Amino acid sequence: MSTKVGDIVEEFQSERITDNKMSTVHRHHEISRKESEDECRLPALEAAYTDILRHLGEDTDREGLLRTPLRAAKAIQFLTKGYHETIDDILNNAIFDEDHEEMVIVKDIDMFSLCEHHMVPFFGKVHIGYIPNKKVVGLSKLARIVEIFSRRLQVQERLTKQIATGISEALQPKGVAVVIEAAHMCMVMRGVQKMNSRTVTSAMLGVYLEDPKTREEFLYLSQRT
Amino acid sequence: MDRSKQNKYSSNEKKDNGDGGSVLNGHFDGMVKRATGGPQAPGAESAPHRSTSAVMESWKEERTRSLEDNEMSLPSLAAAYTTILRGLGENPQRQGLLKTPWRAATAMQFFTKGYQEKIIDVLNDAIFDEDHDEMVIVKDIDMFSMCEHHLVPIFGRVHIGYLPNKRVLGLSKLARIVEIYSRRLQVQERLTKQIAVAITEALQPTGVGVVIEATHMCMVMRGVQKMNSKTVTSTMLGNFREDPKTRDEFLRLIKS
Repeated sequence: MSTKVGDIVEEFQSERITDNKMSTVHRHHEISRKESEDECRLPALEAAYTDILRHLGEDTDREGLLRTPLRAAKAIQFLTKGYHETIDDILNNAIFDEDHEEMVIVKDIDMFSLCEHHMVPFFGKVHIGYIPNKKVVGLSKLARIVEIFSRRLQVQERLTKQIATGISEALQPKGVAVVIEAAHMCMVMRGVQKMNSRTVTSAMLGVYLEDPKTREEFLYLSQRT
Repeated sequence: MDRSKQNKYSSNEKKDNGDGGSVLNGHFDGMVKRATGGPQAPGAESAPHRSTSAVMESWKEERTRSLEDNEMSLPSLAAAYTTILRGLGENPQRQGLLKTPWRAATAMQFFTKGYQEKIIDVLNDAIFDEDHDEMVIVKDIDMFSMCEHHLVPIFGRVHIGYLPNKRVLGLSKLARIVEIYSRRLQVQERLTKQIAVAITEALQPTGVGVVIEATHMCMVMRGVQKMNSKTVTSTMLGNFREDPKTRDEFLRLIKS
């Protein structure tokens, strides 16, 4: 019995370090944060936010702040709802056999995430391209994969790679390319305070990595406004 | 220690409160009618207009926070953020999150640094006598604030215009006034009004107009999730309110 608990704890720990391990997602290790857990954890989050408000010098009894701890707690649970979801949940039914081997691009997917270093939002656009290998995926599923990984405490580099790897593992396509261009509020609202700076990261897998012409076609088609 | 600090904060705010109206944002609510009781700042006696002396005092309000307070609150803020990380199901011990509570706490203190500053500190020296009574506009001032309801950023642009009445203000001071009031837990309507009133109290101009156009992350990242929505609020005082032509000129000039 104790070994079983030990195993579970160990697996729990390894799931928690999942995001750290070589920046790839191991789908069989992913755990969903259960919705019911969210409810249980709400009071603790609320209390933490009340603390924060007080220590910032605010008056927690004033009208505008009365229910703020609850709203802020729910807001941050929403902003990190990606922990709830696994690729399996959303993809299982939407992979279709299709004899198509040309590039498929879904671009300008709005993305909102939280910087894991400052817990401040960063947001931008994601462009995804892949070359199917007899299997295509429902288009909105690409956007849902972005949602799963972006609604977490993230680092833009890891986010890009997780999206690319997630699609790669789900479809086994000939190649996947992901480009993210984002503005980081931690750089805009504080710190260096550079309003117009944007961070661009990309992940190229398969033929996109090997063949420069394929990569070029993707970059051209996705950057065109 | 924490409780006494809270009492100090609440009592500070109650002190600022004149007639028992609700204290918003820890500071005055628009035109606060300060009762004759309460501490009178020494400058108030020399206020040129007796009728506005009550309003002038709200401009010299107390700070609710000092740098020492910041230092002392940091460990508690960091502890609160650690609780939040755990409550979200994350592992605060993983490499990327190790110092996050401290960074997040410092970031949040920065986003609310408006509580540490007083208008009078920022403005005192930069009011100049100038025989100019044409409109002065400073537009496209980038503004970053925090929604007081969800603790999520608000950002946008502020456009300020005023008609001087023999006294002009250093231009960057307009932007500094925006900073003081925006770096707080805010509601856009109140922010607009506070900026307008502060300029009015500092300069007694013939009129002031403030327009803010902002994006609320609480509407974009969550909730209704409308990416392109913007909220526009404006406050017109004095001539800007009474004379439609003045207002028109202002609105036309700030349109890009």
